[in-house]
Amino acid sequence: MDVLLFIIGSITPYIAFFVLILGLIYRVARWLSIPVPIRFPVAPAPITYTGVLKRMSIDLFAFGSLIKGNKKLWLGGYAFHIALAVTLISHIINVYFHNLWEVIGYGWYEAVLYSGFFFLAALSFLLVRRIVLPNVRYISKISDYLILILLFAIVFLGVYMRSFGLVDVSSVSNYMYSLLTFNPIPPPSNIWFLTHYVLAQILFIYVPFSKVSHLIGWMLSTTRNMRNITRWRRHVNPWDYPVEVLTWEEYYEKFKDELESIGPGGERR
Amino acid sequence: MKIDTTLPARKYKLYATWKRDMETMNLPFPRDWSHTDFKLPQNWREIALKKMDEVVNKFRSVKLFLDICVKCGACTDKCPFFLGTLDPNNMPVARQDLFRSVYKRYFTLTGKIFRGLVGAEELTEETVELWYTYFYQCSQCRRCSVFCPYGIDTAEIMIAAREVLTAIGLSPRSLTEAIAKCETIGNHMGIPPAALLSAVEFAEEEIKEETGISIKVPINKKGAEVLYIPPSADFFGGPHWGTLKGVIKMFHQIGLDYTISTYASEGGNFGTWLGYEHMKKINRKIVEEARRLGVKWILGGECGHMWRVIHAFMDTMNGPLDFLEEPVSPITGTKFKHAASTKTVHICEFTADLIKNGKLKLNPDANNQYIVTYHDSCNPARVLGLIEEPRYILKNVCRNYVELDPNVNREKTICCCAGGGLLADETIELRLKAIRPKIEAIKRTGANFLACICAVDKAAFTEYAEHYKLPITVGGVHELVGNAIVLD
Ligand code: HEM
Ligand code: SF4
Ligand code: SF4
Repeated sequence: MDVLLFIIGSITPYIAFFVLILGLIYRVARWLSIPVPIRFPVAPAPITYTGVLKRMSIDLFAFGSLIKGNKKLWLGGYAFHIALAVTLISHIINVYFHNLWEVIGYGWYEAVLYSGFFFLAALSFLLVRRIVLPNVRYISKISDYLILILLFAIVFLGVYMRSFGLVDVSSVSNYMYSLLTFNPIPPPSNIWFLTHYVLAQILFIYVPFSKVSHLIGWMLSTTRNMRNITRWRRHVNPWDYPVEVLTWEEYYEKFKDELESIGPGGERR
Repeated sequence: MKIDTTLPARKYKLYATWKRDMETMNLPFPRDWSHTDFKLPQNWREIALKKMDEVVNKFRSVKLFLDICVKCGACTDKCPFFLGTLDPNNMPVARQDLFRSVYKRYFTLTGKIFRGLVGAEELTEETVELWYTYFYQCSQCRRCSVFCPYGIDTAEIMIAAREVLTAIGLSPRSLTEAIAKCETIGNHMGIPPAALLSAVEFAEEEIKEETGISIKVPINKKGAEVLYIPPSADFFGGPHWGTLKGVIKMFHQIGLDYTISTYASEGGNFGTWLGYEHMKKINRKIVEEARRLGVKWILGGECGHMWRVIHAFMDTMNGPLDFLEEPVSPITGTKFKHAASTKTVHICEFTADLIKNGKLKLNPDANNQYIVTYHDSCNPARVLGLIEEPRYILKNVCRNYVELDPNVNREKTICCCAGGGLLADETIELRLKAIRPKIEAIKRTGANFLACICAVDKAAFTEYAEHYKLPITVGGVHELVGNAIVLD
């Protein structure tokens, strides 16, 4: 048991963290290493950088493209991402800046619990919809369900722990601090917490290798992040190659009589 | 959304390229084959995977789009080919998945390890059959991209995917027949120079009969100020004819120093839908001809995919066009700054500017027999963002203008469903199904004239109107301009 505790408390957290960070960096570097041969934004597209910033901000903060096409999914997806953001932020505050709650107000600390329920509701919606709607079911792979189930499990355990006060936040906080100084103490040996914790590590490792990498990838989307200035500024394709065409001279030889019937040298003025 | 898992659209396949065209175009594996019997080369899998690796590493967008799709399904009910057939493989994301699953299997870590669990699949002959079927049921209209939270563009994935199909010797006749003609004769229609002259003379005669004015259209004229490039369909007649005449009348009224060309008599570019090489080849002739004739700048006619190429690719592929001058309208003095590098102006931009500056003598009453509505074709709307200019022109040349339902209009337009190589007899049943929502929308307006700025639209909608018994005339925006032009 001690060995296991040592592994999931002192070894795998580092692996998970570095796989997440390095994996995402690798992912982005790999995308960036591939050229953008053509400037091909989806119009109507802005012609200024400010315009692009605006377009992408609307996509990020309001899921602007999604709302145009699917209002229900927008609602569920938006709720899900807001809950996700709230959870991530509140986790950082909880474990590393616990005293901050005094400044922010403990009322907010309570509110986070309810955002957990909200999170579960949003996840259930996404999962049910994936199972029930024939078109979405058709495009879903097993991994698409698993990621939602994984998230559901993590959030459920989190909410459950908190609701019944099953884990002492300050001992978790101490442990998390010890990770930061590369001098880890054993984590609280509480089964609820440990399961929650291990699943979260699995999520970290999974992110860079999966579709969840959209959390950064969307920024590189060339249909959205390019300015519609294609006729104004030349865009260079690094792998462009020459092609052979039928030249005017060859064409003229081929259709000499016909062209001369139009006029001398094929010209009609 | 309902789907029909019997894959009802699987039966619609474009016919195979002729062996002789494969030879003319230097396509891989020239042979006699058909859409039901591919006769794939021995090592096709190897070739396909090699090409896939190549295209995925050539286009950032393609790799990114393959990687980040979250399977949210927002795009599923946005494709006209899905709405018309309910065939699940015509849902944009499923169409991409036909390619993505193979990409995952051979080029991603998770796919190599977890296989089916993450949707990775082997590349089999059946896959290839599905590829050839569904990759050619996408008109590359980009409607799906508008609604995707990340702007994932199925069209760009299809551009790459079709390169893979071409590499193993599979491309449809509907594209290659026209491309081969364009590369050897000068245009998709295969109109040789003398026939082009007769068409022009015929238009001149008709204008003379209608207005009493004789006009002589300059052809291959060196030193003209502007090279006018229409799609070759305009010389062919039918729903395109009015546009050719309209433009000739307009140029005459403003006294534009222009020329058309027989060598670059094709603005359209079917190469766009086959791959980079042939797109570049076809487009190249426009650039070479502008250089040879010594014009100052280029004016492009009413054509959709031609404008996809001119707007988004021409300067990159065949530029820089620095031997030309920054376009300035000789009539109004307007500088077309947005075209400063490509030096090519869209005819609607040009005409809208003329109208705005009061330089056209127009009588909108000439179009009083029409209730006009406008069809946004996919390329002007979603590649150029050319949405207001045609409307501005229409409102100035006719008195009865109505808009289509906003759900199928402007950047959300449902395209003519005949782009991307689908303008072929063998797909008519499929296209008639796909176009239905648009036809319904047109019906609801009560319009009797459908104005388009794309040759493929004009050809396709004429067919659709006949089939759906829609009492509507299909024609160009510049046909209506031509009607309203007062010549004296
Ligand atoms: C422009 C910003 C973003 C948009 C538009 C977006 C959109 C979406 C959508 C539509 C889904 C699909 C839900 C489903 O039906 O399964 C999803 C899932 C998800 N997103 Fe985002 N997302 C964005 C940014 C982020 C960020 C920054 C994160 C990072 C924490 C993130 C994490 C996730 C996760 C964990 C899932 C669930 C797994 C999945 O279904 O892929 N997303 N996102
Ligand atoms: S680009 Fe157009 S035709 Fe192709 S999948 Fe998207 S919506 Fe359908
Ligand atoms: S809308 Fe975009 S992310 Fe969603 S399934 Fe379609 S392609 Fe994938």
